[in-house]
Amino acid sequence: MSGLFDLVVSVVRVAVMLAFTLSLVPILVWAERKGAAYIQDRRGPNRAKILGLTLGGLFHPLADALKLLFKEDFIPDGAHRLFYQMAPMFALAPALMTFAVVPVGPPVVIAGREVALQVADLNVGILYIFAISGLAVYGVILAGWASNSKYPLLGGLRSSAQMISYEVSLGLSIIGLVMVFRSVRLSEIVASQGTLLWGIVPKWGVFVQPLGFLLFLVAVYAEANRTPFDLPEGESEIVAGFHTEYGSFKFSIFFMAEYVHMVVGSALIATLFFGGWQVPYLADSGFVLPGGAALGLPGPLVLLLRIGAFVGKLLFFAWLFIWVRWTIPRFRYDQVMRLGWKVLLPLSLANIFVTGLVLLLIGGGA
Amino acid sequence: MAIGVKKVARPRQMSGGETLYLLEILRGLGVTMGHLVRNVFRQENIATIEYPEVRRVMPPRFRGLHRLMRRPDGTPRCVACYCCATACPAVCITIVAGESPDPAVEKYPVRFDIDMLRCVFCGHCVEACPCDAIRMDTGWFTPPEHTREKLIYTIDMLLEK
Amino acid sequence: MPNFTLNGISVDVPEGTTVLQAAKTVGIEIPHYCYHPNLSIAGNCRMCLVEVEKFPKLQIACNTVVTEGMVVKSDTEKVRQAVTGVLELMLINHPVDCPICDQAGECGLQIYYMKYGLHKSRFAFEDKVHKKKVQDIGGQIVLDAERCILCSRCIRFLQEVTGTSELEFFRRGDHSEISIFPGRPLDNQYTGNLADICPVGALTSKDFRFKCRVWFLRGTRSICPGCANGCNVEAHFKEDIVYRLKPRRNDDVNRTWMCDPGRLEYKKANEARLLTPVVRENGGLKAEAWEAALSFAAFRLWETVEAHGAASVAVIASPAFSNEELYLARKLAEEVLRTPNVGFSPRSSGNGLSDDFLIKADKNPNTRGAQLLGISEEKFDDIVRKIEGGEVKALLVFGNELADFPGERTAELLSRVPFVAQVGTNEGAVSLAAHAVLPSASFVERGGTFTNHAGRVQRFWMGFPPRGNARGGIEILVGLANRLGAGWTFAGEASVFRAIARSEAPFAGMSYESLGELGQIAGGKG
Repeated sequence: MSGLFDLVVSVVRVAVMLAFTLSLVPILVWAERKGAAYIQDRRGPNRAKILGLTLGGLFHPLADALKLLFKEDFIPDGAHRLFYQMAPMFALAPALMTFAVVPVGPPVVIAGREVALQVADLNVGILYIFAISGLAVYGVILAGWASNSKYPLLGGLRSSAQMISYEVSLGLSIIGLVMVFRSVRLSEIVASQGTLLWGIVPKWGVFVQPLGFLLFLVAVYAEANRTPFDLPEGESEIVAGFHTEYGSFKFSIFFMAEYVHMVVGSALIATLFFGGWQVPYLADSGFVLPGGAALGLPGPLVLLLRIGAFVGKLLFFAWLFIWVRWTIPRFRYDQVMRLGWKVLLPLSLANIFVTGLVLLLIGGGA
Repeated sequence: MAIGVKKVARPRQMSGGETLYLLEILRGLGVTMGHLVRNVFRQENIATIEYPEVRRVMPPRFRGLHRLMRRPDGTPRCVACYCCATACPAVCITIVAGESPDPAVEKYPVRFDIDMLRCVFCGHCVEACPCDAIRMDTGWFTPPEHTREKLIYTIDMLLEK
Repeated sequence: MPNFTLNGISVDVPEGTTVLQAAKTVGIEIPHYCYHPNLSIAGNCRMCLVEVEKFPKLQIACNTVVTEGMVVKSDTEKVRQAVTGVLELMLINHPVDCPICDQAGECGLQIYYMKYGLHKSRFAFEDKVHKKKVQDIGGQIVLDAERCILCSRCIRFLQEVTGTSELEFFRRGDHSEISIFPGRPLDNQYTGNLADICPVGALTSKDFRFKCRVWFLRGTRSICPGCANGCNVEAHFKEDIVYRLKPRRNDDVNRTWMCDPGRLEYKKANEARLLTPVVRENGGLKAEAWEAALSFAAFRLWETVEAHGAASVAVIASPAFSNEELYLARKLAEEVLRTPNVGFSPRSSGNGLSDDFLIKADKNPNTRGAQLLGISEEKFDDIVRKIEGGEVKALLVFGNELADFPGERTAELLSRVPFVAQVGTNEGAVSLAAHAVLPSASFVERGGTFTNHAGRVQRFWMGFPPRGNARGGIEILVGLANRLGAGWTFAGEASVFRAIARSEAPFAGMSYESLGELGQIAGGKG
């Protein structure tokens, strides 16, 4: 009985997470296109119609997906057939897998058992994230190499150098956070962020680790290959970079992978630095303000508020990805490398040192 | 406006705050968000012309697709003098002259083809025409077609415009 | 030798020279319409007015004979004003319908208007006297009476050159016009010249009518291929289409005239041309690349010589080919194929029309050249007999038909020969029967020389490269000979002509330089 319950819960959790992540993709595509258009004083997609409705161009991602689905599925003559076909899967799968350890809400009690609102509450959550997201680079490099074409190869080389460089800073930037919260389990990190600092400020990662947050943000952008770090794609220099030779549905998988990366990246930023599902001053019983005033709320409403807060934070950071893309131009390659090795790496090391020093001085943290 | 010397500001040394970039990036984000908000709430200010439904109004001297003029009796004004074909820098006009049944007209174009793919819309043909038989005042630019042949406009098509 | 001063230049001229002719020799252009070097002087257009010292009034240059010590000025303001006035008078009733006028581009009125006119008309269009347009007056000519400036060149031509006098002035004053007598259209073989000598668009050619604007045409010096007279012509063409022939002045041959049938000779360069080498094998025709076609023809000739001896091969040359090509054809037959059977026929198809002026009964341009090059006329009938007797196993034919034989006779004759190779320009009875058709260049597509009936060797120049895949006859012959092991190194007609001048007595001492534009009489007998 208990085994069946666990199985059902696991399957439902996986299905919901997968559906949630993938359904965000077309919405983000739409937001990207429409947002870009308005930022650039254009109108953006507004032609695709269903029953005379355009819904501000919301059907365009759907039409795009259909188009890509029905296009000829080809493999270029000189390509390595196996790797060429594997590459899109290597790009998408790690992105989806990373989301497994992200808690979307506090544990809930269903039928007398506590159920965590995350696919897997690993005790090595952060390590898992680094391990899996480190695999993502294989998709890009494989695509670049297997295409047997010059631009994809250049894109693949760029991405390998870039991702390896920024993975170092990505890892180091979180060490400080781990030191503060004394856990690599994501659910514990989120739970720790529910407390208050000096009785006023929520103890969010961004407040205890502001530099760590900045470093992590930049490194995540670089890992997701998003502007200003989209050198592997670099359409104005190397056509379309690693996916130049890809078309039809294989291309669309790369496309989806990029947006899933965005979703996962946003979820991580929200979880690690912005309290995850935590809402400031919202305890299990309702709002408790620092002055002592309190507002009682029923349990389900609190849960909804908390899940809503997580989704809201996630969407904001996803939008930030888009927003930054249409604000900052792409870096030159040497600038990317300089930033990675000569700025981010020393800063993240310094951050660890300073965090350790502070923790030592105040006696082992709060 | 007279030609003068324009002083172009050299890139200046950035201040310490600027080299951090953080504030500048935030300001950049502010600029783009400003555009977005403005365009979402005041859509009428977007410069985009939604082409098939809305057309740009062409200025009166715009050189568009050619048309051939007719005399009051409906026959083409063109007398196949080849002046336009001679003036054409793109060599896109092909004329074959014939003997008109009307002795007062004498010469008329049996064929008058303009290859719109070659035409550079310079308007020399209009200037060269001694009979005001060819004009470029349709306000249209070349519409897309599926074959090259369809873009060779014959005398009948040019008279219809 | 009177000496006079023209615009400050001292000029010596022969006795009896007019001012206009003298001006031409020193390169001073005096405008004129009615003057023509090969016609009598009428002096009625009044365009060539010049100032002569001690004459109270301006004089017409065309009819003022130079005398010793005369001082003439053609560039003064007074002259200019007078010419402008004359031009304005002529244009009073002119319809200015240049857009539809074939003369536009080579019209005297346009040329001088740009130099001396450029004035606005002071005459309302409605007040102009209108005359009859588009009159078919016979021959090759269309008359537009409105455009006429009454220079009388055409009338004088018909009186003095053809002697037929079909045109005359009619009516008076500004209603004056030229016309034919009622029911008496132009009736001579030289009407095309009227369109040439008419300085305006009054008389234009029916054949050239509306075909092409003259400013698109380029010209090349050529020789009319229509008969043995060898009239000097200018061939006008656009891209690779010839549009007309115009006579080129050569006072020893055709003065400035040519006949009407000759004017239509250009059509052979445009219509029914052989444009690609064709090989007939196993009953089917196949377009071939040049190398393959030449190798095929050479191989079949060689095979025949090997199997049946040189006497089984015959070469029928054509007097329609140039001296250079005939020389190489003879050389091919004698030195490469070593066959005694080489001949040509002076008889040619055609109407046989002839007169005592320019039209000759022999419709070949180079019969005399073939004779002078020692190609036998008698052998032709001999070869025909041998063909009928089945002795000829391989035949190389130049030209598009065999002598004046009708098509059936040609087909019947050629069907007796196992292998017929043709070098020709146009489709005809020979090309229908030939086993290898080697298309050659027309008279505007290659250079060379023709020898006319009087033995005058005259050059013609290449206007444009051979149409389609055709090749010049020299190139074809060299290709054939070298495939048969000859090792010829001729490149271009000039090198062949040098060889002719070296080895052929009648042409001794000649070169393209000595021929010049007008040709040279071949020495020797015959």
